[in-house]
Amino acid sequence: MSLLRNRDNKAYAYLYDHYASALNSIILQIVNDAELANDVLQEVFVNIWRRIEQYDAGKGRLFTWMLNIARNASIDTLRSKSYQNSRKNQSIQDNVDTIQVTDVLQPGIDTIGLRKVLEKLKEEQRILIELAYFKGYTHEEIAELEKIPLGTVKTRIRNALIQLRGLLK
Amino acid sequence: MNIQEYISSGIVESYVLGLADEAERVEFEQMCTLHAEVRTARDVFELSLEQHAIAAAVAPPNHLREAVLQQLAAEPASGINGGAPVVQMSSARRSGIPMAMRYVAAAAIILLVSSAGLNLYYFNKYREFSQRYDQLLAQQTDLVKNNSSLQTKLSTYEHTIEGLTSPYMAKIQMDGSSVPANGSPAPASLATVLWDTRSKDVYLMVNNLPQPEAGKQYQLWAIVDNQPVDAGMLDMAKGPVMVKMKNIPRAQLFAITLEQHGGSPTPKGPMYVLGKV
Repeated sequence: MSLLRNRDNKAYAYLYDHYASALNSIILQIVNDAELANDVLQEVFVNIWRRIEQYDAGKGRLFTWMLNIARNASIDTLRSKSYQNSRKNQSIQDNVDTIQVTDVLQPGIDTIGLRKVLEKLKEEQRILIELAYFKGYTHEEIAELEKIPLGTVKTRIRNALIQLRGLLK
Repeated sequence: MNIQEYISSGIVESYVLGLADEAERVEFEQMCTLHAEVRTARDVFELSLEQHAIAAAVAPPNHLREAVLQQLAAEPASGINGGAPVVQMSSARRSGIPMAMRYVAAAAIILLVSSAGLNLYYFNKYREFSQRYDQLLAQQTDLVKNNSSLQTKLSTYEHTIEGLTSPYMAKIQMDGSSVPANGSPAPASLATVLWDTRSKDVYLMVNNLPQPEAGKQYQLWAIVDNQPVDAGMLDMAKGPVMVKMKNIPRAQLFAITLEQHGGSPTPKGPMYVLGKV
């Protein structure tokens, strides 16, 4: 850890060699574009380098911290990209929830990582995890989007996560 | 609250995956410091997530490793925190002066330099022409002076010619051979008196007289009833022109003697020429 804090180049090379592939996987699952994923991965390592002081070992593992950086960077990229797309075609915005659901169900990236695990969940749970984890929507946004009560969103997500824990073991 | 119930409520996964809201996060972190079981549950889920992620890893392209590490090497090494990107942005800007203002400033400097160059050029030109003007002015003054002296000379000659050709002008030639007794010191001497018969003004024209020595001057005399009368001093510098002398109403002879500078009341020096009226 002290090597990372001192910005030791070898320590970051080690970090890259051990975790780049795992982080690349989660980025790919969110942005679903190999080239875009490369950019995000680069950004993630720059963020790790810059924000290493903010990592608190008492609150969790380094990988978990890096995973969340990767997830947030991916969702930010996705949002700026979809914002640009929606500007190109205003009609998409009118059918935003339809689009989101079709996005969720698109094939190809379902075969790797957590998405593969998600397939074992019930449809209604899978969509909520998809929206919450892979799209970064808040519970309130999901409730509005899926037209279900906020309490139901929370319960379903919690249940899905409990199942997920079992599936990951 | 029952710890086991809390652990199995899905909060652990929600927290680790970053899905918990602010209140849930704060509560969970408190629970972790208070209860080892919660901490353990968190560690277990984190580890399984990490292992699963590593198992599901997708390798990025090989060239990306070098690109990432190079970019990190280019990052500032110390004093970095969350605000680092802002620091980099502002340092990349370097100065707050807009590009347009820089061009304006550059153009102003170029104008200033070329203006200074032109100033120097025109100053040198001015000096040159000022000198030429002074030279021309001096030349012109000389010309005017020459011209006026020529005018004077010309009018004198005109006057002389007028005197010589005038029918009212009596012409008395004085020569060295006419001098009696001891004779003239310079027998070849010759001078002419022109006497206006109406106004009785006397003019003298020196034709040939030796240059007087220093301190001496020729003096013209009119001999009236055997008495010499002063008729004026000669200015040798004027040359063979008609020079106005004194007014002599009556005379029988005219003669020139060499006297002390300024003249004498009566002739004392030797006589050079003599002529009869």
